[in-house]
Amino acid sequence: MHISLDWISDYLDLPKGLDPHDLAERFTRTSAEVEEVSCVDVGAKGLIAARVLSYEPIAERANLRKATLDVGGNQTVETVSAAPILYEGVSVVYAPPGASTAKTGQISATKVAGVDSVGMILPGEAVGIRMAVLEAVFLNDSVEPGTELDPELFNDWLIEVDNKSLTHRPDMWGHYGVAREMAAILGVPLKPYPIAPLEEIQAGGQPKIAIDIEDALACRRYSGIRLEGVPTKPAPLWMQLRLGRAGMRPISALVDLTNYIMADLGQPMHAFDADKVTRIEVGWARDGERFTTLDGVERTLTDNTLMIKCADKPIALAGVMGGLETEVIDSTTTLLLESANFDAATVRRTAGRLGLRTDASARFEKSLDPVHTALSIQRFVHLARPIFPNLKIASPLSDNFPGSYDPVQVTIKPNHVARTVGKEMSTEEITRILKPLGFAVKKTDELLRVDVPSFRATGDVSIEEDVIEEIARYVGYGAIPPAMPQVTVRDFEPNKLHDLEKDALNYFVNAERFVEIYGYLWYDTPWIAQIGLEPGDCVELRNPAAEGLQRLRKTLVPGLLDAVGKNRFHFPAFALIEQGSVFDKNEAGDEETRRLSLVKARRGKVEGELFAELKGAVERFAWHEFAQPTEFVAATPNPDHPWERDPRTTEVRVGGSVIGRLGVIDLDLRRAMDEHLIAWGAVWAELNMQKLLAVEHLTEPMGKIPPHPLVEMDFSFVVDTSTHYRDVASQLASFEHHLLRRISYVGAYEGKSVEKGKRSLTFRTVLGETSRTLVDEETNAFRAEFDKYIRSCGYGTR
Amino acid sequence: MDIEQLKKEIARIEADAQTEIDRTETVDALRGLETRLVGKKGPLGSLIGAIKEYPPEQRGQVGQTVNAAKGRVQALVETRLRQLRSAASEAEARKVAQFDPTLPGPVEPMGAVHPVTAVQWEIERIFERMGFTVEQGPEMEEEYNNFEALNIPATHPARDMQDTFWLTNGKVLRTHTSPVQHRAMIKFGAPLRIIAPGRCFRYETLDASHENTFHQVEGLMVDKNISIPNLIAMAKTLLTEVMKREVEVRVRPGFFPFVEPGIEIDMNCEICGGSGCATCKHSGWIEILPAGMVHPNVLRAGRIDPEEYTGFAFGLGLTRLAMMKYGIRDIRVLNAGDIRPIVSPRRLGGPIVSEA
Repeated sequence: MHISLDWISDYLDLPKGLDPHDLAERFTRTSAEVEEVSCVDVGAKGLIAARVLSYEPIAERANLRKATLDVGGNQTVETVSAAPILYEGVSVVYAPPGASTAKTGQISATKVAGVDSVGMILPGEAVGIRMAVLEAVFLNDSVEPGTELDPELFNDWLIEVDNKSLTHRPDMWGHYGVAREMAAILGVPLKPYPIAPLEEIQAGGQPKIAIDIEDALACRRYSGIRLEGVPTKPAPLWMQLRLGRAGMRPISALVDLTNYIMADLGQPMHAFDADKVTRIEVGWARDGERFTTLDGVERTLTDNTLMIKCADKPIALAGVMGGLETEVIDSTTTLLLESANFDAATVRRTAGRLGLRTDASARFEKSLDPVHTALSIQRFVHLARPIFPNLKIASPLSDNFPGSYDPVQVTIKPNHVARTVGKEMSTEEITRILKPLGFAVKKTDELLRVDVPSFRATGDVSIEEDVIEEIARYVGYGAIPPAMPQVTVRDFEPNKLHDLEKDALNYFVNAERFVEIYGYLWYDTPWIAQIGLEPGDCVELRNPAAEGLQRLRKTLVPGLLDAVGKNRFHFPAFALIEQGSVFDKNEAGDEETRRLSLVKARRGKVEGELFAELKGAVERFAWHEFAQPTEFVAATPNPDHPWERDPRTTEVRVGGSVIGRLGVIDLDLRRAMDEHLIAWGAVWAELNMQKLLAVEHLTEPMGKIPPHPLVEMDFSFVVDTSTHYRDVASQLASFEHHLLRRISYVGAYEGKSVEKGKRSLTFRTVLGETSRTLVDEETNAFRAEFDKYIRSCGYGTR
Repeated sequence: MDIEQLKKEIARIEADAQTEIDRTETVDALRGLETRLVGKKGPLGSLIGAIKEYPPEQRGQVGQTVNAAKGRVQALVETRLRQLRSAASEAEARKVAQFDPTLPGPVEPMGAVHPVTAVQWEIERIFERMGFTVEQGPEMEEEYNNFEALNIPATHPARDMQDTFWLTNGKVLRTHTSPVQHRAMIKFGAPLRIIAPGRCFRYETLDASHENTFHQVEGLMVDKNISIPNLIAMAKTLLTEVMKREVEVRVRPGFFPFVEPGIEIDMNCEICGGSGCATCKHSGWIEILPAGMVHPNVLRAGRIDPEEYTGFAFGLGLTRLAMMKYGIRDIRVLNAGDIRPIVSPRRLGGPIVSEA
């Protein structure tokens, strides 16, 4: 919303020397957010009115015309103009040679397209009418050619208010409502709204217009009047300039008047050709019915579209746009002026369905004050009188108000005011704030009864808290001293999932040096096709961000694989982690669960090493978190998951339950991802947080320091690579010896000095006796005995 | 031995001592030598031991002579000791100069949490210190929880502001973390204090400052007599601790259906300090914390009696805050998977020597 301070100053006396930036800042702090303050300085010098006597096209220059102008003082000039529309006999804003504006610079006599051109018919844009880039500015006949135009008329200050911050304030969708706030902020009186007396519009010749309303909830009020003597002509220059600065395009006095009132009071109006519209019926459209709107587009209606009809024929989309057929045209002699109140949701639905958001629908969607329908007709007549000297009320005000207006009254407790704003306030203080905003305050016993003005009572202010907000914002949020709350201490049950997620992420990042990334919640169809993922049934979006992004992810792995491709250009090795939600389609209801996924990638033939490293990381995490060992068990690959094609795919088990899977990304997948990854190794793991949540946290047993020293002795031996560690470990575990305290794994080795197809394993034994120090003979005997046992298991020496 | 012989003997002992002392190379050797030279069993000590061989009238002179010699020997030792010590410190100094404590340790990449996670954890710590508990809700949310429970009926104009991702199963991707307010009220009842960090989704076209996927953190406090002054105090604490500076706030009215009164809390711009720059759109203020007093309808939907309890709520844009804090200009890098713009170069490589 662009608010013109020139316009505002019709309704209040702005203090002398007021800085518009200061006013805007106070408005932001009290009423609604100002986005921008701008000075409109057209820099007009020497502009005059000139009458178009004739015009003719210029050969081969379709966009230009040569116009002959009466510039006053019995002088005519010829000028070239790019204005798309000119009329003979109409006056325009003209810059004679020597005149200037900030946009055009100084104007001189020159040649345009080979034609002598004296001065310039100014386009609207040059005088602050932003929407009129080329169009000339037409003047009323009453302005004589040669009349100098007051340069001050063109200058203004604009305060642009954020529309979103006005969502709940229909009253501020017009200058008068904004003026009311500004008057309250500045502490100056708001002038009465200038209107024609009600009696004036209630009087008139012909019988009243018949208005039928089918659904009083959809149309709370419909006011109409029939007017004669409103020929097509330009609106006064000041009105056109104000509309232009507010972002609208001046069209004709009649259209401009309805737009002016919309920007003035917030009430949209519509003018019908009264020769074609004899009665008004407000009702629902028939399903599939066709209707052509003012913009020439034929639209298909539904039975929840509210229409204005005449003799059952649709003539307007209620609250959105009028119809082409009943539009006021040059030959119209009588018009029927509509000023109605439509239901916000109905208008919203229609505008949304048709993709037709208009200035009118935007306002109706905010729930307008039904009192304004008649008021805006009074305002119309008041503004129209000087423009149309022959204006005649052909039919008096016809007003169907089935919804009637129930005044809203709110009771507030002074201690609730104190509770919210943090200080006691007297009835006088409260009244001083509320009265300029249109509220009436009455004290009854300990309570305050507040009458809400109609323009705030359409949903905005309906409960005590709403009124307290009015008080709070005029006390000034900046004036409320901060104070820490006094609260009740409570022990909340712990959020175990959150704690686990935080622990896990912390562990993998800080202990295992993974880098956390975030991915999108949905699969990218081309990507999953590229890597060969068969997504199966997914939870899907009805309105995806783009085509191919409709499926919600069931695993985080594809996103991590995508990240591998992005980072391989920049790093020879990296490890990535993501934590996030995944979604499963279920008969019983779609399910959201949490996952933690890891990838590690490194250049070189290193997938075996990476596989071991990732297992180590997962294993250490499980010990860190649960003090439980991890088992990795060969898993049956999921054929839909291309990252499970490598036979090294394993199930990760902690405390007996499967908590995730881990595996190697095979060459085919690496090639499919990015052919450069052929020379890389990459591994993945995905843990299920819900499963992890169920794992028991054991207490970590600490080492005992015995009174006598322990002896450590390492044993290495060679096994077939097909012999699994788990089997070796369980073999060793069954060895018993009275000195043996512990056997632990040290490492594995394959390569030089170990026969191909074999693997060397090293274990550490710890020996001790609680009552004494061991002697060499004992430890040597143990070595011999354990060596013998190893051989008996069929393991060879290195 | 008469006195004269004694004096000669002492001179010889002194000369030998001088030679030996000068020959010593270490403090320890010198200390050993000193003990030997001046100890009871040393050459001077044995002269003293033989004092009884002199007639009583000479014994005083003998004692004086020997003790004087002992003093001179000790002086020689002290002189040599000073020499040795200064030589040792030179050697030490040479060693110290070769030792470079400024040389960095071996370069190894560091892990890193996402910048948004880092800010989230920081905020969690601040609030946990104040007795808040961290709650999460699902990202796939019931339409009712996302809207109706928060006083946003289907006909409410505020639904214009919510560009929602709808699922074919009738649910939505939550458009804000506010549904957790409702969930927490149902779960805990009043009084309660929670924050709810999480991911939110809005149907928006992506550009440098708009994402369809972003993080917020919701704050909710319900108790007896919770007020706007409480809300402002909490907001100031939060912003001051997160930004690690004394933050100035501007509080102004704002409209959100789930609060009444609704406010917007702005902080003075980090970049320009309030004088106006591109980041704050030349206003000097950064819109950071939409907030307000919980609407009675929201309390009622959460089965809390608004007559007995009041509360405040706020929603902080975590993503925005992280971008501000870490100087990230393009929001799209946060979900893109390329780690360079979201991890500091120091974490990915060695210590930085210079940067342009």
